[in-house]
Amino acid sequence: MITTELKNELQTRIASAITNREAAVDVMKAFQAHYGWLTDEAVVEAAGLLGLSPLQVEELATFYEMIYRRPVGQQVIHVCDSISCWAMGGETLLGHLSGVLGIKPGETTPDGLFTLLPCCCLGNCGEAPTLMIGDTICGRVTVENASKIVTPLLF
Amino acid sequence: MPKLIIDNIPVEVADGVTVLEAAQSVDIPIPHFCWHPALGKAGACRVCAVKMVDGPVKGIQMSCMLPAQDGMVVSTTDPEAVAMRRNVIEWLMINHPHDCPVCDEGGECQLQDYTIAGGHGIRRYSGTKRTHINQDLGPYIEHEMNRCIQCYRCVRFYQEYAGGTDFGVMGSAGRVYYGRFEDGQLESPFSGNLVDICPTGVFTDKTARFKARYWDYDMAPSVCPGCSLGCNTTPVARYRELLKMTARRNEAVNGWFICDRSRFANDAVNDPQRPRTPLIDGREASRDEALEALLLRIAQIEELYGSGSIAVVGSSRLALEGAALLPRLAECCSAGALCYFTSQEESDRTLPLIELLSSGKPASQRDVRESDCIVVCGCDPLQKAPMLALAVRQAWRNGAAVYVVPFGSAQGTEGVQKSTILQMNRWLSGVEASQEPKRLYDAISVHSLDAVPLADAKQPVLICSATNAPDRLAETLEQQSNLKLAVIFPAANSYVAAQLAGAHGAVSLEHAVATGKIKGIIAVEADIPPQLLEGIPFVAALDWRMTETVQAAQIVLPTTAWVEMDGTCINNEGRAQRFKKVMNPGVPVRGLDPAGHPPHIHRTIPPGGEPQPAWQTVAALIEGLCGEQITEPLSGKWERLQELAAESEGVMINDL
Repeated sequence: MITTELKNELQTRIASAITNREAAVDVMKAFQAHYGWLTDEAVVEAAGLLGLSPLQVEELATFYEMIYRRPVGQQVIHVCDSISCWAMGGETLLGHLSGVLGIKPGETTPDGLFTLLPCCCLGNCGEAPTLMIGDTICGRVTVENASKIVTPLLF
Repeated sequence: MPKLIIDNIPVEVADGVTVLEAAQSVDIPIPHFCWHPALGKAGACRVCAVKMVDGPVKGIQMSCMLPAQDGMVVSTTDPEAVAMRRNVIEWLMINHPHDCPVCDEGGECQLQDYTIAGGHGIRRYSGTKRTHINQDLGPYIEHEMNRCIQCYRCVRFYQEYAGGTDFGVMGSAGRVYYGRFEDGQLESPFSGNLVDICPTGVFTDKTARFKARYWDYDMAPSVCPGCSLGCNTTPVARYRELLKMTARRNEAVNGWFICDRSRFANDAVNDPQRPRTPLIDGREASRDEALEALLLRIAQIEELYGSGSIAVVGSSRLALEGAALLPRLAECCSAGALCYFTSQEESDRTLPLIELLSSGKPASQRDVRESDCIVVCGCDPLQKAPMLALAVRQAWRNGAAVYVVPFGSAQGTEGVQKSTILQMNRWLSGVEASQEPKRLYDAISVHSLDAVPLADAKQPVLICSATNAPDRLAETLEQQSNLKLAVIFPAANSYVAAQLAGAHGAVSLEHAVATGKIKGIIAVEADIPPQLLEGIPFVAALDWRMTETVQAAQIVLPTTAWVEMDGTCINNEGRAQRFKKVMNPGVPVRGLDPAGHPPHIHRTIPPGGEPQPAWQTVAALIEGLCGEQITEPLSGKWERLQELAAESEGVMINDL
């Protein structure tokens, strides 16, 4: 269950959209922030608010890779695996982070702190290779500064 | 009108027609998965590639996405196009299981056909296949997602064409998944069409899985007897069992689809309780014996009670052939009454509507789909004639205004609002919609017909039900010359019954029985309420269903179901359509007691194969009574229907 306050806020946001569906991503992100990930319950609740069927919300939720339909860690690290980042060493970067965190891409650290996910283009090709941690985009990430980004959060 | 050349054949097509359709118009087949005539294009499968040799566009193009233009020179056989299609097929097959022999779709699979036609025979890909977990979609449809080639046909039909919201497409890229939010029965009353439109075996008819192969099917063009719309079907049978129902295209009527009520209604035909053997006072008899006995009883009744004490009763589900012979039968047995309706009320309501339709302009389902203004008057198309509601949705999707006028038994907005929602599957198995019912179309509720701006409409259609037609219908039709009328009748052949009742001065059985003169009833596929049979000493029933009337009858002559005979029905617009015999009558092999094998009775027809079409039994009675031999039931006014082809749009009987 979400709070009445959040519910009212979301209803206002939906009311100001031209179509309900347009507000769906905002609503899903709000639910995700509330629950930590978009739970089955959240999909049904979001559908209720949006006047869509749960399936219609699920269609959107499963399309966007930053809507998490499974539990994730406190920090989600998205490492771009699209062409520009791949050409600039994205694969090595993902492998390195995997080693530092001790998890495979797609997994969450046992302490629940980090989830490591490969993702498609983050729109930062000029600064390749790119990763995103939480809502922060980091460009020109080398193996060295990747550790600097992640390690302080580790301890 | 663009002119183009396809494979050296000059083609001229209407504006907006795609290269794919242009090729089809001159019988050049181009493989396609995502494109469907009723759903349009998606550009998702890439298998309809052609080479544009000359003209405004050059090179390899997707023929389903490209509108035909002047000066185009198209090659479907160019090596580059052929190679492209072969490659596309190969990668569509990368994740598809190589198990056609154990797939229920095998033999009737478009993917299988195009894979073979495209020349992809040897698998080169050695990687692992993407796999999915299937969902339980309820008792009617099986889900096998591993077979999916992502053509999007199912979701385009389900959500766009049919307005369903509980089935869709999830995920992205290689993870695309077509299904529901969670396991559960599909809610749309048109869900069965997924089976027909899926080009491979993702959706198969659960009620018929692994019962027969396509090349062993007994199939024939047929017409659904489920309601008065007369949607075209292809029933599928094997070993005297009606296995499944598929939709058959008729652009004037149902288009490409049918409703689930039509599709999943085979039980009545396969019912082990069906009357199969003639009965005389409960004793099994041969057909000749039973006919003999019936003739004798008719004579006895006449002797005992005098002339005019027999009632010959047809019904609104009896096919035209049988119904058209009843007046002659009534003459031959000096019947006191010829009845096509049991209830006086139904008769009173139906006859004037038939008159109105034959003098006015009946609306076909195509007219409804193409209308720009639809008035739904005091009825619920989804409950009574589901495909009509789907037709209204298509008009609404194209921008038509839909008005709902509540009155009579549907008084109040509550009753009428329900007309637009997807709830029909509830009667199939009692499934409850998991959410707020979704509307098939948005309707404007108005208090009376006068409030509808009919004068501004170009092709308006008024939809009403025979049980609740508006009072000033004739007047409205007269005032509004372009208004067409679609009436939902209670049964498949109500039009036949009313037409003949009017022409031959038939009365309702209720009325005939009330006179007290009727002492014997010959019921031909008629459902007579038990209270009307009280005090009638003799009842004979010709029927293929185990009805209360059959149970009450002293003499029973089994008839064939519609799939076991050739026949004609006339739908709610007055469109005569021919249905052909799909299978021989007989007890389905499935369900026979193995202990009784091998049968020790010598016979030339299969067990339970005795039933004859109703009209043949009626003709035999006429012969027994008057010596007149009838080999062709359609004569006089109906003579021209003898030549009616099943695979046509049908014939409007007004034009006869």
